[in-house]
Amino acid sequence: MDTIANDFTINIATANGTGSQSANLILLQSLFDMGVPVSGKNLFPSNISGLPTWYIVRLSDEGYQAPGDRTHIQVLVNKATWAEDLAALEPGSVVVWNMDSKMPMDREDVVSYPVPMTKLARSLSPKLAKLVTNIVYVGVLAELLGITDEALHKAVAGQFKGKASAIELNTTALELGRNHAKENFTKSDPYVVESRATEQQRFFMEGNEATALGCIFGGVQLLAWYPITPSSSLAEGIIGWLPRLRTNDEGESTCAVIQAEDELAAAGMVLGAGWAGGRGMTATSGPGISLMQEFIGLAYFAEIPSVFWDVNRVGPSTGLPTRTQQSDLSMLYEGSHGDTQHIVIIPGTVEECFEFGWRAFDISERYQTPVFGLSDLDLGMNRWACEGLTYPDTPMDRGKTIREQDVFDAMENFGRYRDVDGDGIPYRTLPGSGMAPILYRGTGHNPDGVYSEKPDDYFALMKRLRDKIDGARDNLPAPLMREEVEGDVGVIYYGSMENTIQEIDDILEATGLKVSQCRVRSLPLHSDVEAFIRRHRMTIVLEINRDGQLWGILRRELPNDIVGMVHSVAYSDGMPPRARIYADKILETIEEVSQ
Amino acid sequence: MSDRPARAIKLNVINEPKDSYTGGPSSLCPGCGHDQISNVIVTAAWENGIKPHRIAKMSGIGCSSKTPAYYLGQSHGFNTVHGRMPSVTTGAYAINKDLLYLGVSGDGDTASIGIGQLIHSIRRNMDMVYIVENNGVYGLTKGQYSATADIGSKKKKGKVNETQPIDLCALAINLGCTFVARSFSGSKKQLTSLLKAAMSHKGFALIDVISPCVTFNNNDESMRSYQYVKENEITLHMADYIPHFEPMVEVEVPEGHFTDITLHDGSTIRLETISANHDPSDSMAALTALHQAEVDKKHVTGLLYFDATKPSLAEDLGLVDTPLIDVSDEDLRPSKDMLDTMNKEFLNQ
Repeated sequence: MDTIANDFTINIATANGTGSQSANLILLQSLFDMGVPVSGKNLFPSNISGLPTWYIVRLSDEGYQAPGDRTHIQVLVNKATWAEDLAALEPGSVVVWNMDSKMPMDREDVVSYPVPMTKLARSLSPKLAKLVTNIVYVGVLAELLGITDEALHKAVAGQFKGKASAIELNTTALELGRNHAKENFTKSDPYVVESRATEQQRFFMEGNEATALGCIFGGVQLLAWYPITPSSSLAEGIIGWLPRLRTNDEGESTCAVIQAEDELAAAGMVLGAGWAGGRGMTATSGPGISLMQEFIGLAYFAEIPSVFWDVNRVGPSTGLPTRTQQSDLSMLYEGSHGDTQHIVIIPGTVEECFEFGWRAFDISERYQTPVFGLSDLDLGMNRWACEGLTYPDTPMDRGKTIREQDVFDAMENFGRYRDVDGDGIPYRTLPGSGMAPILYRGTGHNPDGVYSEKPDDYFALMKRLRDKIDGARDNLPAPLMREEVEGDVGVIYYGSMENTIQEIDDILEATGLKVSQCRVRSLPLHSDVEAFIRRHRMTIVLEINRDGQLWGILRRELPNDIVGMVHSVAYSDGMPPRARIYADKILETIEEVSQ
Repeated sequence: MSDRPARAIKLNVINEPKDSYTGGPSSLCPGCGHDQISNVIVTAAWENGIKPHRIAKMSGIGCSSKTPAYYLGQSHGFNTVHGRMPSVTTGAYAINKDLLYLGVSGDGDTASIGIGQLIHSIRRNMDMVYIVENNGVYGLTKGQYSATADIGSKKKKGKVNETQPIDLCALAINLGCTFVARSFSGSKKQLTSLLKAAMSHKGFALIDVISPCVTFNNNDESMRSYQYVKENEITLHMADYIPHFEPMVEVEVPEGHFTDITLHDGSTIRLETISANHDPSDSMAALTALHQAEVDKKHVTGLLYFDATKPSLAEDLGLVDTPLIDVSDEDLRPSKDMLDTMNKEFLNQ
C-alpha cells in the first residue's frame, strides 16, 4: 500500500472535562517536535464538564493550518457524538475507537482499530481511569503513525513540568497504548508520520499568551478585566507573567491588576488609568465591548489613552461563546453613540499578537484615543507555530504628555484641546502635576477644556477629532501584500484568516486562478489599500462573518469610482475557516460578477 | 485707591490663601444644598492644608456631579459618566496612589445606576472620599424620585413615594465600609469636621449628605426639605476635627463626655456626646440608630461607623512604593536579554 505521509487530519471526539486536552496537546507537541508541520484546533463547548468536544490535528507538509475538508483518522471516545461522528466519515477513513464504550461499530467501509481504552486505563489506575483513557489513544496513534518515543517523552515532560508522578503515569499509559497496537494490529491504512528537518526553529504559542506578553513589554500599568471566554487567558497570561517580568525582589509589582465587577467598571478603570497618565488596558470579547460603549465614547471625546483587546467570539448575544468569528470589527471601528471613529489593530499571527500588544499603548498615547486590538478565539486560544518574539524596535512613545514644568512654561498657547501642531493632537498635562489643571468632561468643550455649547466650538472639535484619527491611518500597521499579476483579482482579508489564506490560494491556483493578497492590519484603512484595489480588475473581501463588515467599511470609504470593484465573500458557521468553503465562494463570486 | 492698609490675607498651614481652593461660579439653582457642600469642600481642603493640585476631583453625572467646576480650581478633575465615577477613580488611583481622590455624586448617580460600582469600591476599601449629595430626586431631568426617596415623602409634583428607599449608610456599614457618616448641608460645622476627618482616612470614606433640592423637593410634604431636616435631625454627637499639625494641648477640651478617634494621618476627630453615647466602632449600634430613625421618620447624623484596621486597596494591589506614574519607562519594559532568554526557553520547553 502507498503511504500518505504528513498530509491528513485526525479528529478526536471526547467529552469536555475528561482531561483530553492535555493528551491532545501531547500528541500535537510530539508531532511538532518531529518537525512535522502541524496545527491543532480545540472545538470546545460552553461547559465545564460533560459536553462533547473535538480536537482536530492537521498534519500538512504544505504548512496548511486550517482544519481541512475531511477527517482521515477519527478517534472515538465520546458516546454522545459516536453515531454522528462515525456517519460523517468518508469510506476508507480510519477509526480508533474505545471498545469499552459498548457502542456499535457498524461501518464496514472504514479501517477499524478497536482498543479497550478504559480497561487498559483501569489496569494502570482505577481512580484516574477517565484521564488515562485519553493518553492511551495517544499511545495507539503513536504506534500506528510512527511517532517516536523520544518526541512523546519530551512532550509529556513539557506538559507536566516537574511533576514526576504525572510524568510516570502518562509515560506508562502511552506504552500501554503503543503495546496494545503493536500486539493486536496489522497496519492497514496509509497514514504515516515522517520526521522533517526544520530550517527555522519554532515553538508553539497561543495568541492570547503572545498578546499578554506584548502588553507586558508594552509597559502595561493597569489590567482591569472581567472574565469572559475567549479573552480570559489573555488577562490570565498577564497575571501569570507579571511575577517574573514586572515584580521587584520585594514582590512588589509595577502593574496593578483588578478583576472588575463587570465590563463597565473595567472600562472605567482603564480610562481612569489613562487620565492619570498611565497605561491601562482591558481584555474582553464582544459582549464586554457592548457594555463598554459609553466609556468608549467618553475616551474618544475627552481624548483619554486606553487600550481594549477584543478576542472575538461568535455573536450576537451569547451566540456561540466558544467558537470563532470576525464580527466585532464594525462595532469597534464606530463604537459608542455620536460620531466616532476608532483605531483598530488586527494581528494575524502569534508574532503580531506580541507586537501589537506593546504597540497598542504607543498608538493610544500618541493619538490620545482608545485603541482596539482585535484578535479572535481561533488565533487567541489555539496553539500556533511561532518563530520567536521580537523585541520592540522603538522606545515607548508617551505622546504629547507634558511632564516637566519647564517644558510647560516654554509652551505658548497651551490649551488641553488646542491643536498647537496642526496634526489634530493636543498636548496634555497630568493630575497631580499642578500644571494647567482642568475638569475633564464628556460634555462639549472649547480648546481650553472649558464647558461650551457654542456651535463653532463643537463643530471645530469634531472636525479636529476626525482629522486626528485620519492622520493616524498611514502610521498604523500597514497592510501586507502578496501580489501576483497586476490587473486581475485581488483578495483582501484580515486577522486569523492569515492561517488559511495559503491553502485557499493553492485551491484557487489549481483551477488556474492566480490572485493577489492584501492583509489589512489596521483601521482606519491605510492608503495602500485603495492603491491595491486600483491595481486590480476586481477585489474580493474575505471575512469570517455574515455581512462582510470590512467590505461595508470599504464601500463607505472608498471613492465612488472604485466602490463597484469590491465584492464580499463573507461566511461564518462558527468553525475555524475551512479553505475549500471560502475558495468555492470566491470562485462563485468571480463568476457572478463576470456575467 | 483706598488709604486703608491692606488686610493681611489669612493663610493655611502650607501658606495658601483660601482663594487657592475656590472654583468657578455655580450654575445650580439659588439656595441649592449642593452649593453649601461645595463651600464646605473648599473650607475643609484649605483648613487641612492639602496642596490643591494633589487633589483629584471626581464625579459622575447629575446636578451634584457638576459641582467639581465650582471648587478647587487648581485641581485636575474628571466629570465621567453616570454612576461610574468609582471605577474611573479606581483606575486613576492604581496609577497615582498618592493623590487625594475626592468623589462627589448624587443619589441617582450613586443609589441607582451606580450602585454596583459603589458597592465594589467599598468592598475593595478603595482610598477615596465619596460624598453623596442626597436630595431624593433627579434634578437635571426635572424632578423624578430617586432610590433614596423616603417612604411617605412627597416631592413638589406627583404622588407620595411608597417605594422602599435605599439607606446608603446602612448599605455601606453592611458592606464593611471603613468610614460611614451622614450629615446635612445645613449643618456646616458638623459637615466640615466630618469631611476633614474623611480626608485624613485611609480607605473608603462615605459621607451621605442630605442636601435639599430647592426646586423639586423642598415643599412641606417632603422629608428632605430644609425645614423637615432641621426639625427632624438627630445629631449623634458634636464633631470636632483636630489636624495632625495642631498640638492637642492647645485644643479646648469640652466639658461633657467625648471620644477621640485617631485618623490615618495622625489627625483626630473628637466626638462630643450630646445625648446617648454612640460608639462608632459598633456597627450594630450604628445600624440600630439608622433603623430607629427610619421608623421615627427622622434623619440621624454624625460619624456612624469607623474602622481603621482594614487594609485599603493599595495594600491589596501589591504595588511598588513609587506611584506607578513615576516609574520610568525603562522599569516598565523588561529587557531585551529577558526576551531572548524567554525565546530560548520556549524553544526548549
